Amino acid sequence: MIHMDNVSKAYSTGNPAVNEINLHIEKGEFVFIIGPSGAGKTTLFKLLLKELEPTSGTITVAGQELNHMKRRQIPKFRRNIGVVFQDFRLLKDRNIYENIAFAQRVVETSPRRIRREVPQALSGVGLAERYKAFPNELSGGEQQRVALARALVNKPQLIMADEPTGNLDNQNAWEIMKMLEEINEKGTTVLVVTHNREIVDAMKKRVITLEEGRIVSDEKEGGYTDEV
Amino acid sequence: MKFNSFLYSLRQGLKNILRNKFYSLASLATMVVCIFMFGIFTAIVVNVNHVVREAEKGVAVVAYFDEGVTDDQIAKIGDFIRSREEVENVTFVSAEEAWQEFMPIYFGTEDPDMAEDLAQDFAKDNPLANSANYQIYLKDVSKQDQLVKDLSQVEGIREVSSNNTVADTLTNFNSLLGYLSIGIIVLLFAVAVFLISNTVAVGIAVRKEEIGIMKLIGATDFFIRAPFIIEGVVIGLIGSGVPLIILYVLYQRMQTFVSDKFGMLTGILSFIPAGEIFRYLVPVSLCIGVGIGFLGSMLTIRKHLKV
Repeated sequence: MIHMDNVSKAYSTGNPAVNEINLHIEKGEFVFIIGPSGAGKTTLFKLLLKELEPTSGTITVAGQELNHMKRRQIPKFRRNIGVVFQDFRLLKDRNIYENIAFAQRVVETSPRRIRREVPQALSGVGLAERYKAFPNELSGGEQQRVALARALVNKPQLIMADEPTGNLDNQNAWEIMKMLEEINEKGTTVLVVTHNREIVDAMKKRVITLEEGRIVSDEKEGGYTDEV
Repeated sequence: MKFNSFLYSLRQGLKNILRNKFYSLASLATMVVCIFMFGIFTAIVVNVNHVVREAEKGVAVVAYFDEGVTDDQIAKIGDFIRSREEVENVTFVSAEEAWQEFMPIYFGTEDPDMAEDLAQDFAKDNPLANSANYQIYLKDVSKQDQLVKDLSQVEGIREVSSNNTVADTLTNFNSLLGYLSIGIIVLLFAVAVFLISNTVAVGIAVRKEEIGIMKLIGATDFFIRAPFIIEGVVIGLIGSGVPLIILYVLYQRMQTFVSDKFGMLTGILSFIPAGEIFRYLVPVSLCIGVGIGFLGSMLTIRKHLKV
């Protein structure tokens, strides 16, 4: 699903943010990427979405080589990926039904399918009753569930989450992680960038640790090691 | 783009307009003023042109013949003049007719009988024997100079007289008015483009987050841009539609007002019917409105919306 070969990304000043990374994630995997601030996690995330261009190396995501992708092909490529952020990024002036329908309108889904699939997506995250609520009327956990429903509604092959539990209390954080696990069990590849030591340790998934732009460990059933 | 997406973009575009009411109103007002001025100037220029045309009908070029020219030659010259495009019509005035016409003026009396008495002495000897001529009426006074020049070179023509001042003054006045209005209108259109592009820029700033999310979800450039283009075009469309309606009503009112109050002037001040002017003014103004709206939003999108 994700293949990075000798990928480096250098900004104009300082050391490269990502340095000679080789990373391979297969279809159906659940992978955590951890590491201290400034380790290059966000840069890696942006490289995979083609928000940034690598300085060197090749990247393939969902069967598409990003290096030679033309600008106008980027939107189609991103439709394969559902993205979740720490700050939810919901549209505050629309209710949550509209927020999810928005993701479908963007990819030109027919209104009939939108009417059928938005309620399904909302009940999938346990918010079917609250479809009329606006984001600011919801708790952080509920907002993140809406964001997850939005990421899932177009049935992507890959879910990428950047610190999805960063703004949530423990209970809500676990709910989100359980949902991601369920999604993964249905076959969707999941990539989670996180700081949440407790969750990473408990879930026993593949853990890739970044430090100063390099992969320092890659364990099948890993956790936070003492040094990190 | 699918029809549903078009509807969605249309809704979003209209929402943008309502969301920054202040900027939208400013652009709309400028647009209205632009098209209004454009309409007024067009109406004036077209009507003055019309008056000039009417006046031109009374402005004639007169061609006098050489002494001893034959009737055959006169007929040939007549054919030549008639064959020219700028000529509206040609009348032949014989020496006798010229004298008949001139007699009352010459003897200082309005009474033709009295004049005739006085003219008895000239009966056998027409003082205007050589003044047979063609009176030539033109379609377009600005072509007069060329015609006079060409006619002077025709064999059998002694002299060509023309009254340049009336024609020149009218033509000059009209082209001055034309240039002046073009200048003002171009300036106003530039202001309109500037204001619309600012309105769209505010819309883009307000929706920055939304645009970012759209990009990540996989929206195409076109899908992201469409609402902003629609915003500009709708402002342009409303901004040209409203003044057209006002102008139509005003024009008709003015027409009835003038014919009521200045009835005796109708001969000179004949207005072109509203329908005839608006048949061209409506499509042209709408195109200009839409064009300015499109241009204004495109300029901003290219600058601020690097998708």
